[in-house]
Amino acid sequence: MNRFGYPDLGIGLGLRTTHYSNILGNRPPVGWFEALSENYLDTGGRPAFVLDKIAEQYPVVLHGVSMSIGGTDPLDFDYLRKLKALAKRVNARWISDHLCWTGVAGRNAHDLLPLPYDEPTLRHCIERVRIISDFLEQPLVIENPSSYVEFAQTTMSEWEFIARLANEADCGLLLDVNNIYVSAFNHSFDANEYIDAMPEDRIVQIHLAGHTNHGTHIIDTHTGHVIDEVWSLYADACRRFGDVSTMVEWDADIPEFDVVFAEALKAAAYRSDVREVACA
Amino acid sequence: MRELQTWMHDAIVAPLPPPADDVARRILPSRTLAPNERLDIYRDMYAIRMEEALEVDYPAVAALLGHHDFHHLVHAYVQRHPSTSYTLNRLGDAFSQFIAETMPRRRALYDLARLELAMTQVFDEEESPLIDANAIAAVPAESVASMRLVPIRALRLLSFDYPANDLFQRFRDDEPMRTPRRKPTWLAIHRRDYSVMRLPLESRAFAMLELIHGGATLGAAVVEFASRFDGPPRQDELFAWFRDWTAAGLFTAIEIEGT
Ligand SMILES: [Fe+2]
Repeated sequence: MNRFGYPDLGIGLGLRTTHYSNILGNRPPVGWFEALSENYLDTGGRPAFVLDKIAEQYPVVLHGVSMSIGGTDPLDFDYLRKLKALAKRVNARWISDHLCWTGVAGRNAHDLLPLPYDEPTLRHCIERVRIISDFLEQPLVIENPSSYVEFAQTTMSEWEFIARLANEADCGLLLDVNNIYVSAFNHSFDANEYIDAMPEDRIVQIHLAGHTNHGTHIIDTHTGHVIDEVWSLYADACRRFGDVSTMVEWDADIPEFDVVFAEALKAAAYRSDVREVACA
Repeated sequence: MRELQTWMHDAIVAPLPPPADDVARRILPSRTLAPNERLDIYRDMYAIRMEEALEVDYPAVAALLGHHDFHHLVHAYVQRHPSTSYTLNRLGDAFSQFIAETMPRRRALYDLARLELAMTQVFDEEESPLIDANAIAAVPAESVASMRLVPIRALRLLSFDYPANDLFQRFRDDEPMRTPRRKPTWLAIHRRDYSVMRLPLESRAFAMLELIHGGATLGAAVVEFASRFDGPPRQDELFAWFRDWTAAGLFTAIEIEGT
């Protein structure tokens, strides 16, 4: 259990438009849904209606892409205010975003852009995460990103940076096991070393996803099934962190609900296998 | 930090990549990729993301233009109107205006883009409660002229030089898209039960609905209508319009001026 008391909600899914009618019509036994915050912030239409309905029936978690924790523009308090109000409306169990920056000088690239891992950047991120958590009145949960470049000015590993950020900013972590695999491939590091370095009492949630391997590099496309190597990393994470709320991200070429749900249920099987071995 | 982010952002969104040696000063090579090849991953994804975002909002424009021309239009558009919001939903706000400025002869395309912009706006507007089917009939006769019908938030009224709605319908029906002949048309775009609806109108009905949408009382709207059309609307005409518009769910309240 994490130190914040954020509950283990079991196995969840990302809430995607193509699955709305299936979810509302059939009420599948999903543990919880992760909603992409930005899709629900500025709408009084169908997305808002559906999210409210789902929040009546399932625990909901808000996952965003726009905080720009590592950005150098001022924090967008208009965005944070709306996010806080939405979280309250749907009783979001926690709010997460990524360790990244998204733009500069008011322009937004709408990408999770990578940071150099050095001391000044770490101090900058710690300060911003503290401000955000204070404003939201709850510990923010931060996700490790996938990345495709490393900067010459980097002085520490990503896992050291993230562990120190979490400890010093007192925030939670959303461990994306697929992102660890992707970045380990792209930057030739050891994924197990990464997982071992994570502070276990700060792991609030785990992401799993498919990706696209181009041979020379891997892109985190959130499409297709989770590959065996990532499942194996997930099993390692379960052994190390115990039962943690887990969900599968599938965002491109999204198949029928049942296919995504079946993928998520594989995570349930991994979790219980690990638990049984631990108890034996 | 600021300097690195400014450099990288520019490097991602610019039409041409920065010189390879400039990239190599800041970005390390991987086992398999040179620094500039690694940066290109972000450049390519940016271009794809912008195109996908605009295609979500403007699918019929994309279909009418074809993949190649749409790609180039998007590329030019985001150079001039890069996203400045935390949400991609605002990215296409100036798209129809950009089409008008950069492709002034493509008037049908411009009309289609305005239609699609209105559809995305209506999709996200706040929900409004609806007046009852008999609410207008229940207004006392002496108050009818000073009655003001308040439209729902999710309503846009558009007049076109081209049959934009027919063109959009061809897209929906998966029929071949080609630029139609010029013909003025009028359309109400509104939301009903969380679905976006398109209600074609003829010019007289459109004029009346536009006056009401602009906040005129029924009496003032009829007077203005009469000056435009050489006479007021017929009683039966007016009756049918209000019956249809109420049934379509276009009004949220009735106010009586002076009360
Ligand atoms: Fe993720």
